[in-house]
Amino acid sequence: MGLFTRQIDVQLRMRTLNLYSLLLWFIQPIVFSAVGMILSNAAGNPAPDLVYTVIGGGIMGMWSGLVFTSTYDIRSDRREGTLEIIVGSPTSLRKIEAIRTFANVAAGSISLIAAFLVAVLIYKFPLSQADLLSAVISLLVILFGLWCMGVFLANLMVWSRLSTSIVEFIEMPVALLAGFMYPIRILPAWMQEISSVFPIRWGLETLRTAIQGPALNQETLIKWAISIGISLIIYLLSRLLDRKVHDLIRVSGELSSI
Amino acid sequence: MRAVIRIIRLYFIQAWFSYRSLFAWSTPFNYFASKLGFPFFSMLLFMFMGKYAGFTDPTFIIIGNILLLPALNGVSGISQTVGGERQFGALSYLLASPAPRAPLFLGRAFFHILDGFITLLVALPAAVIFLGMDVTRINLGLVFICVLTLCITTNGIGFIMGTVTLLSRDGWMITSTLSIAFYMLIGVNFPVENLPAFLQWVAYGLPMTRGIMAARLALNGADWTRIAPLISGEILIGLLYIMIGYASFRFVERASIRSGLLDTI
Repeated sequence: MGLFTRQIDVQLRMRTLNLYSLLLWFIQPIVFSAVGMILSNAAGNPAPDLVYTVIGGGIMGMWSGLVFTSTYDIRSDRREGTLEIIVGSPTSLRKIEAIRTFANVAAGSISLIAAFLVAVLIYKFPLSQADLLSAVISLLVILFGLWCMGVFLANLMVWSRLSTSIVEFIEMPVALLAGFMYPIRILPAWMQEISSVFPIRWGLETLRTAIQGPALNQETLIKWAISIGISLIIYLLSRLLDRKVHDLIRVSGELSSI
Repeated sequence: MRAVIRIIRLYFIQAWFSYRSLFAWSTPFNYFASKLGFPFFSMLLFMFMGKYAGFTDPTFIIIGNILLLPALNGVSGISQTVGGERQFGALSYLLASPAPRAPLFLGRAFFHILDGFITLLVALPAAVIFLGMDVTRINLGLVFICVLTLCITTNGIGFIMGTVTLLSRDGWMITSTLSIAFYMLIGVNFPVENLPAFLQWVAYGLPMTRGIMAARLALNGADWTRIAPLISGEILIGLLYIMIGYASFRFVERASIRSGLLDTI
């Protein structure tokens, strides 16, 4: 427990409480939400779809924050020369990375909470119809999916100097394919098929259904199962990567030269 | 005459070295990813947002996002180039050198202008080929003028943000915020007229707003008389920002020489 709180404390201070995180959690989602609302207004719609424009913006902020903090974790340890020291310590890198990613996901969820508050308090989004239990379970499913993806990305990014650029091909494409700002049905069929490999896509679908009305049915249960299943596959892949990173440091000692 | 040649030489040497140093860490993959990754996928995201809102033709959004590309060079690139001097410990040497300041400072923009221009020349035909953008009425000469104007006028904000980056460790965050705000403010994804009134004032006070409007008209076949007022306004605003950027750099430089604090911020 002591390790957990100390890691969370350090992680929150080092990676999350900086101004760039504010940009990712709040400013970028606000701009994207505003564009969505103005486009809706320009198209002659009587009101924007708050589920996609406002809450979708919050999800985007949560995702962008996770991508940048998690991909930065092991990379910055390597750059600052602390990665080998962590690997040499009695606590495993895997455990430390798991706690760090938890902190990243928890901190990033502030973006989603803020979006919910904006939707409910400012735009009077009605929650009277919402299926709160399903919404909370969906949110937990999404957070678990994000955590698995965060651990995977943290290990993946350590492989190459090109990793900084790979982020450019992760942040927006996932937002694009997982339907953060619009329903998946808007996408061409081939894009919808690609999007099914992202666990958050399934969690988002059930979350949106749940905040608009009763959602606890077989379809929702299947989507939760798919999301958790894909998340677990991603986590297993990250375990393989994690072992490779370990070997690069402890067996071949070549990580610093990559 | 020799003094003029020396200044021109200095301008281009500064331009070349500052541009190379910005991408010193880069491979072609890094270069293309940082230039086109986020903008390309953002454009697709906005296209689908537009489709969901009810717009069947995404041309407005495609053109706007392509015309925004030089802003990446003009704002982020120049800001990083100027701010990088301090980050890599070269600022003190720069400030102590007897070289004239105008080519030293303004030279940082040349290759970003060229880079932005070439990017647009590649992106526009790519949009025609891959996204089916209609250019049957295009006024090619005027589009070239508009694109070149845009590539130059974006630099003013880059110079200002570069100076801000010298003054603040969080300058990069402010630059990034501004770059993100462009998606909403300068008529990239929807006409400026759709913004609330006070944001329209902000939009017309920024470079690129009029340039993008002029480029859209030229792509639709407008003649010079229609775009001249917009291009003139764009050039005036752009020059104003460049002058403010240069003046603020000189001010910060003098203050730094007096206090010696710039490297310690």
